Amino acid sequence: MITVTNFSKQYKGFTAVKNLSFSVEPGQILGLLGPNGAGKTTTLRTLCGIIPPSAGSLLIAGHDIAQDPIAAKANLGYIPDDPRLFDTMTVWEHLAFTAAAYKLADFEEDAEALLASFELTHKRNTLVHDLSRGMRQKVAIACAFLHDPKVILFDEPLTGLDPQGIRGIQQAIRDRAQAGAAIIISSHLLSLFENLCTHIMVLNLGECRRFGTMEDLLTEVGHTDSTSALEEVYFSITQASDETAESAVA
Amino acid sequence: MDPALRQLLFLRLRGGLRQRLQQLASVRGLLFSLAFGGIVWFLIVTNSSHDSVALDPHAFSDQIMTFMPLTMLGLSLLTVLMTTGPTFHFSPNEINFLFTGPFRRRDLILYKFGAYVAGVTLTSAFVTLFAQAQTGSALSAFIATLLTLVFVQLNSAVIGMAGHALDGSKLAKMRWPATVLLCAVAVAAVIYAWVTPDRGILDLLSAFRHSWIGTIVLIPYIAFAELFVARTLTDLALWALVAVIINAALLYAVIRLDAHTTDRSLAENARLSSRWERIKQGGSFFATQRTEVRSIRRAPIAGGLGPIAWRQVLNALRNSFKLIIIFAGMAACITPISLALNAPITELQTLTIVYVFFAFILPRNLVCDFRGDLSRMEIYKTLPISPWRICAGQLVVQVLLAYVIALTIIGSALVFEESMTPQIALILAAFALPLTFLIYAVENTVHLLFPVKLVAMGRADFEFLGRSIVEFIAKTIFVLAAMAASGAVGMWAFKMTGTGLVLPGMVSWLALTLIGVVTLAALQYAFQRFAVAETID
Repeated sequence: MITVTNFSKQYKGFTAVKNLSFSVEPGQILGLLGPNGAGKTTTLRTLCGIIPPSAGSLLIAGHDIAQDPIAAKANLGYIPDDPRLFDTMTVWEHLAFTAAAYKLADFEEDAEALLASFELTHKRNTLVHDLSRGMRQKVAIACAFLHDPKVILFDEPLTGLDPQGIRGIQQAIRDRAQAGAAIIISSHLLSLFENLCTHIMVLNLGECRRFGTMEDLLTEVGHTDSTSALEEVYFSITQASDETAESAVA
Repeated sequence: MDPALRQLLFLRLRGGLRQRLQQLASVRGLLFSLAFGGIVWFLIVTNSSHDSVALDPHAFSDQIMTFMPLTMLGLSLLTVLMTTGPTFHFSPNEINFLFTGPFRRRDLILYKFGAYVAGVTLTSAFVTLFAQAQTGSALSAFIATLLTLVFVQLNSAVIGMAGHALDGSKLAKMRWPATVLLCAVAVAAVIYAWVTPDRGILDLLSAFRHSWIGTIVLIPYIAFAELFVARTLTDLALWALVAVIINAALLYAVIRLDAHTTDRSLAENARLSSRWERIKQGGSFFATQRTEVRSIRRAPIAGGLGPIAWRQVLNALRNSFKLIIIFAGMAACITPISLALNAPITELQTLTIVYVFFAFILPRNLVCDFRGDLSRMEIYKTLPISPWRICAGQLVVQVLLAYVIALTIIGSALVFEESMTPQIALILAAFALPLTFLIYAVENTVHLLFPVKLVAMGRADFEFLGRSIVEFIAKTIFVLAAMAASGAVGMWAFKMTGTGLVLPGMVSWLALTLIGVVTLAALQYAFQRFAVAETID
């Protein structure tokens, strides 16, 4: 469903992502893990067509995002870390706009269901400039789910959400994966990955340091008393890479 | 003022200066600032040479003494009508840091006043460059401008705060009846001037200003007009002293009234901050502040163009509706005002002003296209809609709104200007559409190729000002070249067909439209090239 082959991205002499290859199948949830500046957001933004890749191919439901962007985007839902909505439109109008953009003729029933599932029904006529950050995040997710995309990309999906909201979003992600969507989540919340992800990719300095199923990674490290297993994996990989980079410089 | 606040003021001023110097350190910042400086210098030189020939200093002083107090009174009345709260605005970080600190309210007001005075000192220095030729000396121009701007701010603050302190009282209920009465008087004056050919509206205003009642009403404002026309140092010192006393009294009133309006002040600060945040995100100062509206159930699809245009329609209705009304009103008044000032719209100078209004002021304020969506570009980038449809959808509403303004100017000229015939108006209306399209296609293309926020980074952002002027000049050259090319094609068609102007006119129109379509292709390229992460992050 998502196939990335030899993807690289450079910004004016700086390599943000280097030679990245992976795939995510329907029903799988891949967690992108890494410190700030590791290349997670760049990877997601390139996958959804916001920025062009410098090299490599990125396929969404069989369509290359650079060569056939319209078909690829029609199968894609993207939820950015800071959803910038249209401040003069209501919650419902965002769904109506999304429906028209994705050419959905009968969307109202699904839209109502999404509003209900995200507890936004009473906010349908509210202009989004008046919503809290968590509410805006829910609106962005509802819009991304409306056209039932085969691929969903989340960038820090739980930012600004209250505990009920976090539980609701996590359940919605599980439901979407069970319904056959291929999902990528980028976050710094390790507990989110432990709860949801089937696969993990650890990125550091734009390169893939580890990619595998969650079970394989946890088995590799084993369980420690003081920290979670995933945290152990994360620090062992990122600190080892930092030391390698420092010794290379020296 | 508290020493800590004084130090904060100093540090903020130093920070502002450092920011400006950093702008100059970059090649782009230096070039735009130099361009701005060059244009200002050019305007000063042409202004002074023009004025020395055209304006009699005594006649000009009379004009200032007559109309400046009236204008200031008008601004005060507008403040009464439009004010929604105290005008000393504290930003959220000032509220978080200073309101919780060990400072008296009086010190906070003095701190804000100090910051304002520092800002208007810079503005006054800038105004002095242009005004010194009229006022006689740079010193009088500077002092007069500085004290007048301080007065305007304090006067507005006192009016606003007094209004809120009186909220709920009988006096507050007089606001709207008094407004209606004033409007009725204004309308009666306009009608009287209309039916009396030898007494224009300016004559009526002048008569009021020089009447005994006018003099009493305008006394505080007359002191500031006297400052501008002071010819000797003694006069300047005398009127400056009067102005300082008036300003000191107003500042004292602000401090006293502040105690009665603290809650309202906090609410207003929050409202202004949220409004400012929206402006920085591309919204309008006049954007709706309602929290709930009736949702429109469905958006048109129209192959992908529909939802984009629909979103901009909602943006125009809820973000810019008041602005559209204001601009339409201004457009309707252009011809009558130009006639009243004895500068008909057919003259080159007036036409230049109309062009600046239409191609610079209007696009800078009425924003319903890509320029207002810089922070939302990633939404457009992820939509499964072809780029040219997104570009066309983004332009259509903006172009139609600007076209309505253009039609209003043409309609107004048709009504008031004798030399304007229906045939000429029709031709102008036909050409105005592709021309408007061209202006906004160029505006958006430049904006996507060299993106920048539409608001200046505080006072004296010379890079921003320089860039705005350079962009406008470049756009004007392009538009003039397109019009020349279209005219040349029309001429060629006229030579080929021999007789009649209809066919050459249509060919010329088509040529202009074609140039517009080519510019749309350039806009599409700019949209595709726009990389959100590289440009904004």
